[in-house]
Amino acid sequence: MKVFYFLVVFAALMLAMLWVDFGSLGQVQDAEQSLRVMKGAAFFSMNVFATVFAIAATALLIPKDVEDRTLYTILSKPVTRLDYLLGRYLGVILMLGLGLLLMGMVFSMTMWHALEGVMAEQVAVMQQMGFSQELMDARVAQLREQGMGVPVGVYSVFLKAAVLAAVALCISTFSTSTLFTLVATVVVMLVGLLVDEARSVMLEYAAAGRESGVLSLAHWVAYMFPDFKLMSLEDATIHGKDVPVGLALRVTWVALLHVALSVVLSWFIFRKKEV
Amino acid sequence: MAGEQRDKVVEIVGFEKEFRSPFLRKRVTAVADLSLDIHRGEVYGLIGPNGSGKSTTMKALLGLLQPSQGSCRVFGYDASKVDARSQVGYLPENPYFFKHQTARETLLFYGKLCGMRGATLKARVLELLEMVDLVEAADRRLAGYSKGMLQRVGLAQALIQDPQLVVLDEPTAGVDPIGSRQIRDLILSLKQRGVTVFLCSHLLEQVQEVCDRVGVIYKGEMVVQGAVDALCTSGEHRELRVQGLSGAGLAELESWLESQGARLLSSDAAQKSLEEVFIDVVTEKEGGKA
Repeated sequence: MKVFYFLVVFAALMLAMLWVDFGSLGQVQDAEQSLRVMKGAAFFSMNVFATVFAIAATALLIPKDVEDRTLYTILSKPVTRLDYLLGRYLGVILMLGLGLLLMGMVFSMTMWHALEGVMAEQVAVMQQMGFSQELMDARVAQLREQGMGVPVGVYSVFLKAAVLAAVALCISTFSTSTLFTLVATVVVMLVGLLVDEARSVMLEYAAAGRESGVLSLAHWVAYMFPDFKLMSLEDATIHGKDVPVGLALRVTWVALLHVALSVVLSWFIFRKKEV
Repeated sequence: MAGEQRDKVVEIVGFEKEFRSPFLRKRVTAVADLSLDIHRGEVYGLIGPNGSGKSTTMKALLGLLQPSQGSCRVFGYDASKVDARSQVGYLPENPYFFKHQTARETLLFYGKLCGMRGATLKARVLELLEMVDLVEAADRRLAGYSKGMLQRVGLAQALIQDPQLVVLDEPTAGVDPIGSRQIRDLILSLKQRGVTVFLCSHLLEQVQEVCDRVGVIYKGEMVVQGAVDALCTSGEHRELRVQGLSGAGLAELESWLESQGARLLSSDAAQKSLEEVFIDVVTEKEGGKA
């Protein structure tokens, strides 16, 4: 809980800093760039919060329950080990979802406030310069696009954190130390961020006819790691691009597959684990 | 025979548990070839020194450990199956709970784990809070509870679904003599209601008071087990307790015993135990409310 409060305060501070930055958003040529910086910083803080919370909270779950012996009293009730794992995982996901929802709402309000300010200033400047109403409307519509897609961006941050939490849960079922769980999950996250590049390189090698056993093995191993770059739909939001529903659904499907795989693996390891 | 089989609540046959060191490949045998049966309504005490395998046996009975060899069955089910635990309540040694929860919330949580809901659960929680004397502290966070209070919460959670088998690991650890006596009385009341109790304790006097049968485990092996009365009866000695006997009468009795070929071993005035003295004093101070 302390971690959660700390991260909420951290996120609030980040957003407060963005609020202070409004004064520099008035110039016509810098408007989109400034909004992109603002969105980038907000999504960065959300990603940091979600990643740290998902990994730290999940990695500590089972070791803490064993240390406090709460695991004994829970598992001595008619509770299956899968129920226990799912309950613990969904608890983390719920807290994570609530935290991100709160941050998303604060960010949306901040974004709306910033956009309104920018649009008012730009319309005033364009009126002074004698632009037609049609051009001003087009500019306003262009700026409004910058404010679109925040929920999809927050949703993609949530999906990535949900996958990471499931990976941390899986590692914690066989890990003998919390530190190992933390480090191993961070390694999976880093590999997941590089999977896209690795796959591109492998495709280039294959296209150049430089295929080998190691390369095809690496190709299959790459499928085992979640591709966090693929799931980073917030990049599109930051650049004011629309995310097609089909793409969002495909990313959801990929994330769900990774969560299901990790949870099933966790259950397989944990079902006979001696506590 | 079939009736006796049905009557068995706990059936441990040839239970053996080995722990392996992951790196050195060294094996440590915690329990070896342990067999015991506990029948419905019986209070069974497993006693032994620290590290003798008592908690390992209890954990295997609750499905928290897998036997290396042998089998553990509860109500006829393999102990590792969930069905086996639907009628089992467990109090671990020095229990800890989620510190941010209150006693009431803790009991509601454990009740829900047992499938209880609504008014039935709330009524049961209140009943148990009254039973373990925690009604006044029911809405305080467990972080501020003493060891004895946590033990009482632990006992209440073990009884939440009104189980037919209660497994108690050191039930009176950290509890004051009055609380300890209340737990003893509770065990006896469970027994009267036909509930089976399996307990481990270092307080042998208490084990002797409440248990029908005991097993003594040493270095993972069952050394002796049987009915408490049979184990504690000394065949050679007989104890007489008399009232109103004068010094002259005692001398006469002694000489008569000698004429019978017997010898008077001791003739001290009867003494109360320290526990009885403590309880009498505190009860008197509290106005007779024990």
